[in-house]
Amino acid sequence: MNPSADPAPLGIRWRERDGVHIDVRGLAPPGPLVAILQLVASISDATPVLVHHDRDPLMLYAELAQIGWRAERLPSPAGEVLLRLERTQ
Amino acid sequence: MKLAAGAFLAGATSRLLPASIPFCYFGAAVVFHLCAWLALLAGAGQLPRFSAGPGWPLAALHLVTLGVLVMTAIGASLQLLPVATRQPVRSTRWPAIICWLYTPGVAAVALGMGRGVPLLLGLGAAAVTLALIAYAALLAINLYGARGMPGVVAHGWAALGCLLVVLATALSLALTWLGLPLLDHATAVALHIAFAAYGFMGLLALGLSYILVPMFALSAAPDERQSITSCALVVAALALAALAAFGVAPQLLRIVAITVGSAAVALHLRQMLGALRTGMRRELGRSFTLVRIGWVLLAVSLAAALALALDAPLPGGPTLFGLTLIGGWLLTFLLGILQRILPFLASMHAARGRLRPPTPSSLSADRPLAIHFACHLTALAGLALAVVTDSPTLAALAAGVGALGATAFAVFFLVLLRRMQRPAPAA
Repeated sequence: MNPSADPAPLGIRWRERDGVHIDVRGLAPPGPLVAILQLVASISDATPVLVHHDRDPLMLYAELAQIGWRAERLPSPAGEVLLRLERTQ
Repeated sequence: MKLAAGAFLAGATSRLLPASIPFCYFGAAVVFHLCAWLALLAGAGQLPRFSAGPGWPLAALHLVTLGVLVMTAIGASLQLLPVATRQPVRSTRWPAIICWLYTPGVAAVALGMGRGVPLLLGLGAAAVTLALIAYAALLAINLYGARGMPGVVAHGWAALGCLLVVLATALSLALTWLGLPLLDHATAVALHIAFAAYGFMGLLALGLSYILVPMFALSAAPDERQSITSCALVVAALALAALAAFGVAPQLLRIVAITVGSAAVALHLRQMLGALRTGMRRELGRSFTLVRIGWVLLAVSLAAALALALDAPLPGGPTLFGLTLIGGWLLTFLLGILQRILPFLASMHAARGRLRPPTPSSLSADRPLAIHFACHLTALAGLALAVVTDSPTLAALAAGVGALGATAFAVFFLVLLRRMQRPAPAA
């Protein structure tokens, strides 16, 4: 993969104590997938990623598995899907 | 609350169909792919100068179009559109019924054409028509409820309109065979070819590409205005081709239609190549080599259509055009996409109930795909050479190589199914 292919990262990113957050709500497919994978590819340590999404990102899980990451769903307000991504390898 | 991604997928609001439904369509397509090459082998003697009429070449053509291309397009669109346009799957019964009606219908159509049995052909055509009408209704419901992706949705509506023309002209051609023509035979054939290949199947291929190519290349969503413009140009080209088929300034309108169609293809390919160029994933492997070859042959098919419109002295011209359009563009493109999407879809389904889903690459088998790749391209080149040199022997050899490639593709599919059903390793 080439994480620097797109110079303008998609989605809104910020850092909190529990990890790096990314909000991909409102992006047209495959924007959310690309934004999340861009962020994940830029992380070299064990920092988790918290994804704020407006739908179940069905295409994401196989992509994550392919690069040694996994996803867990966390409790979230109605209308939002919150995922915690962490490196497995 | 913590849920594994796979358990989340299995939720009641999932936009995934049960695995048995898309894999029923894709499995049938894999079987018909092999049958198509075998039918071509049986009709190799007629192939080099085939243009129309019952026999095994016509059966092979419909095994590819109905059996492989439309079968896969139905499976892919029923699965992908709800995912891409943010809708829950509304019905699992109807997609399953369509598959069970359509599959024997295609087999009966092919046998009826190959063996020249009008009753079998009629029964098969009735089953195929009913199944496609039911599919059209499902597609229309999906498109009507779609949220976002207006370019993909526009292609879907246009493909749906073309499907109606394809069904009407198919009915006319079938009735002509029974001595009850609705339309002039040449008009019906011209409309049927244009609206089936460039229209229904072509528009679905172009439209679904706006989802699949950026998804596999991991690039930003294509520009919606450009994809809608490309779609509008395809529709305009088809309308011009229809007027030409009805005898309105035929040569001039055919040339204008091809020019407008070429502009649509250029716009589409510019977006696709842009997605590949800017995507995060640069190594797309053998599957996208097939996709790229398919795109080149799409352009070549338009050049061949222009040569035919200009009455250029091309040996076996109509057959070469059909080969380039159906085998070269649509089949090559679809097999490239299919070998990419099958492991991905299998991984999504195998993820259910697992904390760590299997990776798509762990479900795939590379060697059968390598054999298929070599055989498919060799067979297409062999068929083209057989047509140019009017050689039934070469056509038979090429069909044999194609059948070997289709067998290899079937092995890839069986390995994938087996690995997908493998139980998850103990935690």
